[in-house]
Amino acid sequence: MNAFSSRSLIAPPGHHLLRLGPCSLLLHRRSLLVALILGLLLIGVGSWILAAGDDALTPWKALQAAFGQGEALQVFLIQELRLPRLIAGLLSGAALGAAGCLLQTLARNRLATPGVIGIDNGATAFAVASIVAVPTSLAPSALALSGAATAAVLTFALAAGGGARGYRFIVVGIAIGALFGAATNLMLARSDMDAANAAYPWTVGSLNARPADSVLLLGIGLAVGLPLAKLLANALSLMRFSDSVAIGLGVRLQRMRLLTLALCVWLTALAVAVVGPVGLIALAAPEIARHLCNRHGVPVLNAALSGALMMILADWLGRTLLAPIEIPVGIIAAVVGGPFLLWILLRQAPRSST
Amino acid sequence: MTLLSSLLGDASQTNVRLEARDLSMGYAQTRIIEGLDLLIPSGQVSAIVGPNGCGKSTLLAGLARLHKPIAGSVLLDGKAIGSLPSREVARRLALLPQDAMAPDGLTVSELIRFGRQPHQSLLRQWSEEDQAIVDAALIAADLKELADRPLESMSGGQRQRAWIAMAIAQATPLLLLDEPTSALDLGHQIEVFELIRQLSAAGKTVVMVVHDLSSACRYADLLIAMYQGRIVASGRPEEIVTSELVEQLYGVRCTLLRDPLSGTPVITGVSRL
Repeated sequence: MNAFSSRSLIAPPGHHLLRLGPCSLLLHRRSLLVALILGLLLIGVGSWILAAGDDALTPWKALQAAFGQGEALQVFLIQELRLPRLIAGLLSGAALGAAGCLLQTLARNRLATPGVIGIDNGATAFAVASIVAVPTSLAPSALALSGAATAAVLTFALAAGGGARGYRFIVVGIAIGALFGAATNLMLARSDMDAANAAYPWTVGSLNARPADSVLLLGIGLAVGLPLAKLLANALSLMRFSDSVAIGLGVRLQRMRLLTLALCVWLTALAVAVVGPVGLIALAAPEIARHLCNRHGVPVLNAALSGALMMILADWLGRTLLAPIEIPVGIIAAVVGGPFLLWILLRQAPRSST
Repeated sequence: MTLLSSLLGDASQTNVRLEARDLSMGYAQTRIIEGLDLLIPSGQVSAIVGPNGCGKSTLLAGLARLHKPIAGSVLLDGKAIGSLPSREVARRLALLPQDAMAPDGLTVSELIRFGRQPHQSLLRQWSEEDQAIVDAALIAADLKELADRPLESMSGGQRQRAWIAMAIAQATPLLLLDEPTSALDLGHQIEVFELIRQLSAAGKTVVMVVHDLSSACRYADLLIAMYQGRIVASGRPEEIVTSELVEQLYGVRCTLLRDPLSGTPVITGVSRL
């Protein structure tokens, strides 16, 4: 009883303190609650999306079928057709959400997204090139991955003189992105109608018929990247102060910046190889996470969760709004994300005046 | 004062040794500081003074490992400060930079909690000691009533006290401050200087860059006068401050008086040469 009261006494307001022997873990109560709700929502919306379609099931049946329980035909339908798409959406949304959160913290700018630093455009240019310009046996998604990596390496190399400061990196990234964007447009303008149509999903982002191996790769990358991002979160929260304050508190700024950038590029490249350029998830998901958590931290995990939720919802909307015509998820994200961006910008005004 | 003493934690650590040896700083072409030697006296308040551009902030940045020296070294307890793990340095040396900036919406107590960061690890994120030190820092800086106020809603003096409270919560034997009173009016300046004196009385070693020579004389045990990247005089204010020194530093003529209460030099009757 006594131990309990002293435990609740010393936790800073709004936090839970978990203690086990010499270890103590500080948990932000509201972030925990948000993560729990987002997680439940993901399961609910996920199984509901699995169940919906031409051959409608109940969400519970769909969830069972996803784990191999139930009629063989339903199991096939769910496991082979609907589940891979859902997983591709979940993973790519999570990766983009987390990457956006990392980059926004690094750049001290809520509008910075991995798309801004050219990674998306690099992936698109390579994927489009493989379809319309250069005959190759490699799948577009493999090329998208190498395109994302190429753009990232170019940006890193050209920005290196600035000591990997966030600002210089972003400016160089914008230029690289513009170059790749122009290359994409040039290739599309010179290609015939069929090839351009085939390349179209890679220019807007789509979850239709994603290859399983790039999804697997993304899954592995996320399993490594997310815990690492969470480990960095404490030091990252110090990077929101001015540089000299962060150094004074013991952050090795240079190393942290490089690590964060590398992680961000890693997550984005893998996600873009699966879904194409859906940059607005990376912009909006961290903002939603910050808003929900109501906290001045770096909500990497909640950004990943809201990114995943946004991605599967946008994909579901795209499939059902004008069915049987499918709207690529990237377009839905942009249609929803545009007004959202406006809302962010307009919401800021009254806050700064107080 | 006992409260402040408790903040310093391990008393054996209070004898910390910070020195610069043959230190040169700046850029390859233009050196701001050239071949400077300095030993910070433990347990005292040292003030670095000098005209604009004399290198006093650069020296402080070097002492706080913000910038790397081009030549020579800064030693913390005998070891090159750049070779020590940054977090370990942060447990011995706290810094209040001039451009201190916090994320929007941060409250005073949240800010002060960040001061505990160098003492925390992945598996040891919070303890009674952390909480006690944060509470004590709030009281020491007289911010108990303002604990939950966001920083941007406070006056300049209060905000500066909050930053100093964060540095106090770092519980380091050494505290470095870059022009801690530069944007403050007279009352708030006194507030901050008195707090610094209290910290010194509790055993902290303080190094600060101060713009105003009279305040430096009043509140520092030791003056370090810099001119064009070199130390031209150092010692107790009443011993080293002369009208010749003031003329050398600032290029002005002045009359020196003694403060009737503290006996420290006061600069008056300043005119151009």
